[in-house]
Amino acid sequence: MDDHLTPAEERDALAAELALGLLEGQARADALRLSLSDPEFAAQVAAWEAKLAPLHDEWTDAQPGAAVWSGIERQLADAPADKVTAIETRLRRWRAGALLSGAVAAALAFVLITQPVPTPKPAAPQLAVARIESDAAGPLVLARYNQSNGLMQLRIHGFEPGTLAPELWVIPEGGTPVSLGQIGHAGEAEMTMPPPHRLLMTEGATLAITMEPVSKTPHPAPSSVAVASGKIITI
Amino acid sequence: MGCAGRRAAFLGDDAGARRLNIPVTSLRLDGVDGTQWSSGADEARAQLTAALTAVGRGDRAALRQVYDMTAAKLFGICLRICGERASAEDVLQTVYIKVWERAGQFDAARASPITWLATIARNGAIDWRRSVAGRMVRDTLPEQAAFAVADDSPLADQSLVVAEEGEQLHRCMGELEDRTRLCIRAAFFDGSTYAELAERENVPLGTMKSWIRRGLLRLKDCLGDG
Repeated sequence: MDDHLTPAEERDALAAELALGLLEGQARADALRLSLSDPEFAAQVAAWEAKLAPLHDEWTDAQPGAAVWSGIERQLADAPADKVTAIETRLRRWRAGALLSGAVAAALAFVLITQPVPTPKPAAPQLAVARIESDAAGPLVLARYNQSNGLMQLRIHGFEPGTLAPELWVIPEGGTPVSLGQIGHAGEAEMTMPPPHRLLMTEGATLAITMEPVSKTPHPAPSSVAVASGKIITI
Repeated sequence: MGCAGRRAAFLGDDAGARRLNIPVTSLRLDGVDGTQWSSGADEARAQLTAALTAVGRGDRAALRQVYDMTAAKLFGICLRICGERASAEDVLQTVYIKVWERAGQFDAARASPITWLATIARNGAIDWRRSVAGRMVRDTLPEQAAFAVADDSPLADQSLVVAEEGEQLHRCMGELEDRTRLCIRAAFFDGSTYAELAERENVPLGTMKSWIRRGLLRLKDCLGDG
């Protein structure tokens, strides 16, 4: 149907389709995944958003109900005002919840998604590893995942401390990125993966890291390109 | 009725929204009405940029300011794409939480604040529309309910207030075939998928994809020509 398009045009058309929101289902999931794992493609999507931006002039205003602002305030009230304090508070809570173990906790800011838990299939004892890295000499995260007990261990190198925090994502083959929460800038970290997430840790899935605003909850979707990524290999 | 039959539905006429949205212009709007934007688009943009920057530093009062300045615009986006108020209000709430979380990434040198915000709102509304919940809610809406929120007023003085890059996009859109242009606009303003557009136009999915993809690439060539 698009036999006249070159591969480069195909790629650019896909970026435009994602920016416009034309895709659905698997095609949308694939394009979102590509935008996370391929910075060049992500830049093409952003370029299309910018090209179409003048259309934003044309929306018709509408007044939302007052409940919207109170809902926003309620959500913000749950978070401490200062974003740096926020992460410390969260870490204290997590420690209290025995979610994290040992001295590595300070290096780690994992947030777990709470969601209905499907019963995972009992997996054969297996080890999975991933080398999450960038092309250039940048950040490097080594991940080791024990499929028998769900323990994920990270060794984190090379992130510059700043206003953004590294957030770890698992991207199943053909699926959309799922946040595993934010991690520290350096050092070692570990967490026991919640059962729904264990199902995603399969051979061929990708682990990727994006730099995101510090958040008390995992972001539903990455807002920027991956700074490092790597495939999960089971051994 | 096809995309081409809905032209009026794609046009908005709210002067406030357009003024707020003007990327760069020295146009003065004094005396147009009594809103806070009457001192001019540059000033509005500067105020919004300052407020958004403050949000990026964790200033909650500034978030309220951003909300007051932009909620009507962003709700207009959510309502148009979601098609009904309750869902649109839910989406709007998540949009401002995203704004709170991401404001630190806003770069005034790269994007106008209202474009940055509108993109978050539109993407949030499209995410909802593509979600299971969104599809279920929309299945219960009367046929074409989304168009009930559309405005059928013509766009009278768009060219007077739109900045240069806007004029260029409108010129290049104007060079597309009517049906292609209107389907691209339906995708943008209604959040329609290929499948929905193909059904509306009563053409095979592949034909619709081909129209839009070729149209988008032609658009890019035109914009690239400057």
